[in-house]
Amino acid sequence: MTRQKRSHHKLKRAVAPYLYLSPSLLIIGLLMLLPMVTVIAYSFQNSAVLRRDPSFAGLKHYQAIFDDPVFWASLWHTLYFTCMSVIFHMTIGMVFALMLNSDRINPTLRNILRVLYILPWLFTAVIIAVIWRLLLEPNGVVNSILMQIGVIGSKVEWFSSPETALHAVTFANIWAGYPLFMVSLLAGLQGIPKDFYEAADIDGAKAYQKLIFITIPQLMPIIISISLLDFIWTMQVFPLIWITTGGGPIYSTEVLSTYTYKLAFSSYNLSQASASAVVILLISLGLTLFYIRYQKAR
Amino acid sequence: MAEVVLENICKTYGNNFHAIDQLNLSVEDGEFLILVGPSGCGKSTALRMIAGLEDVTSGNLRIGGIDVVDMPPKDRDIAMVFQSYALYPHMTVFENIGFSMRLAGKPKAERKKRVDEIAKTLQLTSLLDSKPANLSGGQRQRVAMGRAMVREPAAFLMDEPLSNLDAKLRVQMRAEITSLQKQLGVTTIYVTHDQTEAMTMGDRVAVLKGGVLQQVDTPKRLYESPVNAFVAGFIGSPSMNLFEATLTGDELMSGALAIRLQDAAFVRRPGLRSYAGRKVVFGIRPEDLYDSSLESGRKYQTIPAKVTSIEELGSEHIVHLNIDAVRVDSGDPDAVQDFGLASNAVAKFEPVSTVRSGSEIRLALDDAKLHFFDPETHLAI
Repeated sequence: MTRQKRSHHKLKRAVAPYLYLSPSLLIIGLLMLLPMVTVIAYSFQNSAVLRRDPSFAGLKHYQAIFDDPVFWASLWHTLYFTCMSVIFHMTIGMVFALMLNSDRINPTLRNILRVLYILPWLFTAVIIAVIWRLLLEPNGVVNSILMQIGVIGSKVEWFSSPETALHAVTFANIWAGYPLFMVSLLAGLQGIPKDFYEAADIDGAKAYQKLIFITIPQLMPIIISISLLDFIWTMQVFPLIWITTGGGPIYSTEVLSTYTYKLAFSSYNLSQASASAVVILLISLGLTLFYIRYQKAR
Repeated sequence: MAEVVLENICKTYGNNFHAIDQLNLSVEDGEFLILVGPSGCGKSTALRMIAGLEDVTSGNLRIGGIDVVDMPPKDRDIAMVFQSYALYPHMTVFENIGFSMRLAGKPKAERKKRVDEIAKTLQLTSLLDSKPANLSGGQRQRVAMGRAMVREPAAFLMDEPLSNLDAKLRVQMRAEITSLQKQLGVTTIYVTHDQTEAMTMGDRVAVLKGGVLQQVDTPKRLYESPVNAFVAGFIGSPSMNLFEATLTGDELMSGALAIRLQDAAFVRRPGLRSYAGRKVVFGIRPEDLYDSSLESGRKYQTIPAKVTSIEELGSEHIVHLNIDAVRVDSGDPDAVQDFGLASNAVAKFEPVSTVRSGSEIRLALDDAKLHFFDPETHLAI
């Protein structure tokens, strides 16, 4: 092989991987990177989108949203909504997965429960929002049952009262989201060798000790991965809150996504909305980096 | 330490499958008993019933004189080594070995002392902080042993503990487990499907087939005096050659084959005379067949055979042969592997043998080593 031929071959080998990657890189660039960069650029401009030659605004819009008490309330609501959702998704998912994996439950009943438990996953956010709006209506089923069993004395306006609205949307989101944990943990449980439990039985482990010393450590990689993903996804939830409460009443269910949406499409303050979006992006990015580092460490 | 007694133990599954049928077995205090048999013979089920991991359908089971049938595993004072070792991957070697003590709420200092002692015995001291994933197969096996030893149980139960190791390590671990058992003197029941393990490790060997106990005896007696054709075929490697022949006078006749029997054969087995003029199953071990060209001094009688293939192992030659007789199936599913398609007999020749594949030879046999079985019941005559 001549020297020229050899260097041509080397070049081909060096370029080939990038050629294979180019279609996906092009799509990611156009659909993800370009909008992201544009939003970041908008956040530093005055009257972004609205004017053809917007002027540079520096950190003015960031300053504005950080001075806005509604932004801080939204951030707090987002954190509450996300943390409660992830904790309960995990707890309920774990309890149901353990039930479905238990030999003590009749196999037919187990199959029925498996279908029932997974139902919330089949509904889109809009359907879930409609279902819970109907159920939690002042004249709805939930109030009626709670009054009949004496838990509440009068009708509660779950979505319309500032005291209960955030809890109500969080509850609806918990109901909608636990099946992901349940299915993932069930798959994990089925992968734990039976020998581990039999060895523990011989060693004298009680049920709770088997859960603490075997089941949870064995499921830990799944618990951490799914929790991080759920955290990232739940932080960005928009349709459920928008359809049930629209962020109200009196900002009591305002989360970062509804706050940003309102800035952009109610107030037409696209620059400030972009700044808010960049804040969400940074929080999500931080969590994503944490997730990637965890996955790499494994 | 304790005696383990199984009386009329039965195990029937929901689909009416009898995994174990009327198993009677008594393992003495400090004894090393091997439960052996082909796949699906019920040996692991029997062990799991002793451990309490399977319910006993009927029968009595006593460990150290105490009826344990309705006792949970933890109260039976046994320790078990699993085929997979069942080591917890998220725990270190120290934590794995000390797990039962941790469950029992033993103080850390006591745990450390005991685990250190065991680690020293098993040469695991330098590995106490390692996770199972970083250990070799043999080290994992030792950790599993350590976890069983830490409890100082009345009996050890081992379920094919060496089957995940490569051949060389298996030989080494076989010796290690045997000497450890002798050192500790703990009653041990060891399940295996490998008859070499059974023959080399146990004080006594119990052979199971289809959930029914065939014979319990010392390895030597199992080899020399199998009670039926199944045990004869199962014990020994390669398996015993079993053929059908007609006993005519003092001769076994089959096709062109004639084997003359000496009076001693009839003296040792008075029942053999009653088979005169009838079919009988005779068996001869591969190691009792010789290359006649090397055995002129011993005056063995010879029979014609055709060599179909030879496996040269260095220390010996495994020679596959075809002789003019109908081979009898011992009922051991693994035995089939010893015979090729074209052969019906196998012999072990000394490495100096010069026989070649495809050649017609005279096969010398030691007729004093013949075994006889009833053609119907397969019981030894």
